[in-house]
Amino acid sequence: MKNSFVKLGGVLFLVGAISAGVLAWLNDATSDIIAKNEAMASMKPEILEAVMPGSVLFSDYEDAALIDSIKAENSKFVNLLTAVDSSDKELGKVIRTWSTVPGYGGDMELFVGVSPDGKITGISVVSHSETSGLGTRTLEPAFTSQFVGKDAGAEITAFDAISGVTKSSNSFLSAVNNAIDIYSKFLK
Amino acid sequence: MNKFEIFKNGITKENPILVQQVGMCATLAITTSLLNGIGMGVAVIAVLTGSNIVISALRKFIPDEVRIPAFVIIIAAFTTIIDLLMHAYTFALYQALGVFIPLIVVNCIILARAEAFAFKNGVFDSAIDGLGMGVGYLVAMVLLSSIREILGNGSILGLRILPEAYEPMMMAVQPPGAFILLGLLIGAVNYLSRKKKA
Amino acid sequence: MNLVSLFITAFLVNNIIFSQFLGVCPFLGVSKKIDTAAGMSVAVIFVITLASIITFIVQKAILDPMQLGYLQTIVFILIIAALVQFVEMFLKKSAPGLYQALGIYLPLITTNCAVLGVAINSIKFDYSFIEAMVYSIGTSGSFMLAIVLFAGVRDKVDNADLPESLKGSAISLIAAGLMSVAFLGFSGLKL
Repeated sequence: MKNSFVKLGGVLFLVGAISAGVLAWLNDATSDIIAKNEAMASMKPEILEAVMPGSVLFSDYEDAALIDSIKAENSKFVNLLTAVDSSDKELGKVIRTWSTVPGYGGDMELFVGVSPDGKITGISVVSHSETSGLGTRTLEPAFTSQFVGKDAGAEITAFDAISGVTKSSNSFLSAVNNAIDIYSKFLK
Repeated sequence: MNKFEIFKNGITKENPILVQQVGMCATLAITTSLLNGIGMGVAVIAVLTGSNIVISALRKFIPDEVRIPAFVIIIAAFTTIIDLLMHAYTFALYQALGVFIPLIVVNCIILARAEAFAFKNGVFDSAIDGLGMGVGYLVAMVLLSSIREILGNGSILGLRILPEAYEPMMMAVQPPGAFILLGLLIGAVNYLSRKKKA
Repeated sequence: MNLVSLFITAFLVNNIIFSQFLGVCPFLGVSKKIDTAAGMSVAVIFVITLASIITFIVQKAILDPMQLGYLQTIVFILIIAALVQFVEMFLKKSAPGLYQALGIYLPLITTNCAVLGVAINSIKFDYSFIEAMVYSIGTSGSFMLAIVLFAGVRDKVDNADLPESLKGSAISLIAAGLMSVAFLGFSGLKL
């Protein structure tokens, strides 16, 4: 009786262990691709398109030490990402940063895309607490598109603020300039 | 029974969905488009054939008393393999099928074939049996999902085939359409097989 | 999401049979009479709730910290199978009356995809422990609602004069489709 119990348990254990082994190996082999798929799915296509036209994914920047040193120096910096297209080709860098000047409801958080030749490719707001209908006009392409194509190596001083919502406009500009500052110091 | 008959059996006489009526959940849930239907069908073929092969190969090694838990582990392992592969390589399909991929493990047809066929027959015959049953499942999925996509979207595999004047019948891709159309499909199969006998 | 609306969503709006399509096999198989339908659904409520508690704890305490998420399907199905066996043995010894009433349904529950489906969904939707509880009770309650109501309908359908080819599961599915039209009305519920 005891023997057969050991045998039955042993067989089941063996079947289970082999299955788990095969799955562990397969999981290991596919985990990178799965993580990438999930990352792609979690990004809204319209944001990707607005920040870096043609990109399908913002992946983590490979040099983690650089990210740490930017963080140490610039408290508003959130993350540095690499924008890639569907064939995994790098299209440029994306800087995620908070504004340095608050708007009406607090800081704004932006994605600022920069092409390899140092031009701003696009901007998208990640989060904000501006008044709906007023401050939120800074989210619209009519406002954000004026920064596209600007040199990411020099601070922007002249821009068309939205009349009546200067505070939000200035907050937005300060985030863009913070991205420019990070770009000039660390990525140029 | 010769090899071809084993294969044909699963598609016609013992079709898992249209005749045996098992594994209905996924059939009803994901047949909103032909692509989903094919994807699910292929996933089931892979799990069914894979588990049939492994179980028949191990049938002398697995004691009778623990065969059911052993079957369940093997089937769950194959299901997870398919789950991981689809998650990595066919992501859109993986999202469309959702929870019904891991639920392949409780699809009664797979455990039933393990018990009724694979545990008693050789590896090659079991592979053919799994393939036949799986293709039978696929055929039913293709039939139902084509009907639902054509009626509900006026398209097939995403391509519009009905004229613009056709107003898509939303009901066909909603839950009620799934039940009613599968009911009618099974009714039609009953009718045809009765006519053949008579 | 607050717990009341979570419960109502699980119980009525996302009815397990009519909109999520989980547990359709027992729904069609065991809905011939109202009292067997009720017996089956009590067993299902019991097992789904218990299974959700255990799988939730196992996922959070073992699988997640050890990064074994890929073993979820295997582990969950084994837990459910073992749980059903255990409940069966327990009832046989300590509550023979209940065992007599539910015993024949218990083995069927292992392959009831509703049990595994609810367990996996609780994790997938990232519910807290309490939310997962409310979700499993609401969902398994909706199974009872669907199967008992349907048994009443089926009683009448089986006595109807039908074309021979439609008898049996064909007409059952069509009747279920019409009931699901009724349940579709709940999706307009503002919560």
